[in-house]
Amino acid sequence: MNRKNKFKRKTLPALAMAGPVSLWMILFVTLPMLYIIYISFMSRGVFGDVVYNFSWDSYKTLLDTTYYKVIVKSIRAAAITTVLCLIIGYPFAYYIAKKPKEVASKLIMLIMIPFWTNSLMRLNSWLLLFQTSGPINRFLQNTGFIDAPINFVYTDGLVMLGLITSMLPFAVLPMYSSIEKLSKSLLEASADLGASRRTTFLRITLPLTFPGIFSSIILVFIPSLGIYTVTDMLGGGKVLYIGNIIKNQFGAIRNWPLGAALSVLLIVITGLLIFIYTRFAKIEDMEVL
Amino acid sequence: MKKTISILLTMVLIMGIFTGCADKNTGSGSDSGKSGSSKELNIYMWQQYISDDLIAKFEEENNVKVNLSYMSDNADAITKLTAGGGQEYDLIMTSDAYMESLIKGDYIEKINFKNIPNASNINESYWTAKEYCVPYLMNYVYIIYNKDKSPVEIKSYNDLIDPALKGQIASIDGARNLFPIALIALGYDPNSTKESEIAEAYEWLTKYNENIVAYGNAEQNLVNGTASVALTFDGNASWAMSELGEKNNLVIADFEKDPVQLGFDLYVIPKGAKHVDLAEKFLNYITDPQIMAKNLVEYPYSCPNDAAVEAASDAYKNDPARDFDYKKNVFFQEDVGEAITIYNDYYQKLKVGK
Repeated sequence: MNRKNKFKRKTLPALAMAGPVSLWMILFVTLPMLYIIYISFMSRGVFGDVVYNFSWDSYKTLLDTTYYKVIVKSIRAAAITTVLCLIIGYPFAYYIAKKPKEVASKLIMLIMIPFWTNSLMRLNSWLLLFQTSGPINRFLQNTGFIDAPINFVYTDGLVMLGLITSMLPFAVLPMYSSIEKLSKSLLEASADLGASRRTTFLRITLPLTFPGIFSSIILVFIPSLGIYTVTDMLGGGKVLYIGNIIKNQFGAIRNWPLGAALSVLLIVITGLLIFIYTRFAKIEDMEVL
Repeated sequence: MKKTISILLTMVLIMGIFTGCADKNTGSGSDSGKSGSSKELNIYMWQQYISDDLIAKFEEENNVKVNLSYMSDNADAITKLTAGGGQEYDLIMTSDAYMESLIKGDYIEKINFKNIPNASNINESYWTAKEYCVPYLMNYVYIIYNKDKSPVEIKSYNDLIDPALKGQIASIDGARNLFPIALIALGYDPNSTKESEIAEAYEWLTKYNENIVAYGNAEQNLVNGTASVALTFDGNASWAMSELGEKNNLVIADFEKDPVQLGFDLYVIPKGAKHVDLAEKFLNYITDPQIMAKNLVEYPYSCPNDAAVEAASDAYKNDPARDFDYKKNVFFQEDVGEAITIYNDYYQKLKVGK
């Protein structure tokens, strides 16, 4: 009787609450991940099928300098994206946080609206806007700024623009949340004690909003490391990052074991970076929404 | 406030999940053809390659449902075919280059041509592996350029690596589309399996890559002025030329010696397909000259169906995109067997760049 009661009181609610999520995670995260690790140790058939023979081949291929170059390039691009998102996002988040609540929620809404459109459409519209005969080039020509159209499309600059616009909300929202929580009295106290606005910002605001910045970094850096649609569409297929290489292994090149090995490598790199971050900031400090 | 943000963030994340699925229209549908004649036909093929109206007409005439799913690469079709595609699909589109290995690997069914009398309209000379496939459309892969903007008058593949063309070429992609042109430019067999030759072709292609503005979307990039030269399919060239209309300044490169690639897209029935009767009915429908002629209005590619070409509109027959005199000087993509991994490795290296 007692045992039954305990089940009803403790186990059942726990199961009901955590059960579906756990099942979901096991089915759609853990199992696929294990499968990826598994096929990364298999070999490739002539048809590009997976042959179930143990081999280190895929990992040996990774030692090739080609992949080293791609990884360095991808990390650099993701890092630049993250830094730019922070530089653009922080003042923006600060500005919104200082507005009255009703205005702030409307402003937040404004960042979100573009995201109600599929990202591929948004990327395509960048192409349309910036193409040689597009509105931006025509405007510049009509106003006499330039004589001949400038080639914006399929350049690294446009890829960066695409990455930043795709990632910006992930940077703004956590930072907004932590700036908003910042107690006004602390800033007042700082001013009372004679600190300049700059000192207040550097010694009070910035350190206290660090958890928000920290989660922004994670939320922007990791997706931009693996994203391939942006480089595919805005880069014209000339510049490949690690995401594109992985996609190609499962698509055109059909080397699943290598694609899996690259995915494992990406997971390891991401894990390492998170580990390094946690050395600097306690994981509990992360802004939890 | 916090709640609003978390809801919004969740929405963004969910949007992200769907991004990857955007170009897949999986119509796996339920399996209804258990007894009697099939009511459902599942086709896997290229997107933007068959008239929706004609599909609707077929559905109406036969009172069936056609589910079209789309591939983004030839390799996708091969993956489907070699991984028991008959479970999912009744017709899969592939190209002539893969037929030999598909037959050898026993991945496709022989086709009963008694049920497809219209197939006799297809020109035999464009028909490889006749028992196993029905050719649909075919593609020349050639060069067109803007005669007013291109600084180079192109007469051979080697003209494409002229530094004057830097950042001006829009090109189709894929190892087996790019390497053959390099091999021909170097005087080798376009289907070479020798690593030394492929390595040389890679060196040639790094120069070609310098001149590329973008891979893919060649026709759009020509029309909007981003590119002045394109390596593309004749059907796409036709689209670009008609889009420009009277202002058309695109011309087909006047090749003197180099052959161009000719490829066929054909339908095969995967092993174990469930609705073979309907698949045959569909093949007979699409090889009907009148039907195919209508399809050619929307998709003006070269067509191996002689009767359909005869029945096609004047606009199709007089299409400037097919007005070139080296149609016989062609090469085909052949199965290169194990050497495909050499191609893929160099292709990867090419794309990763310096």
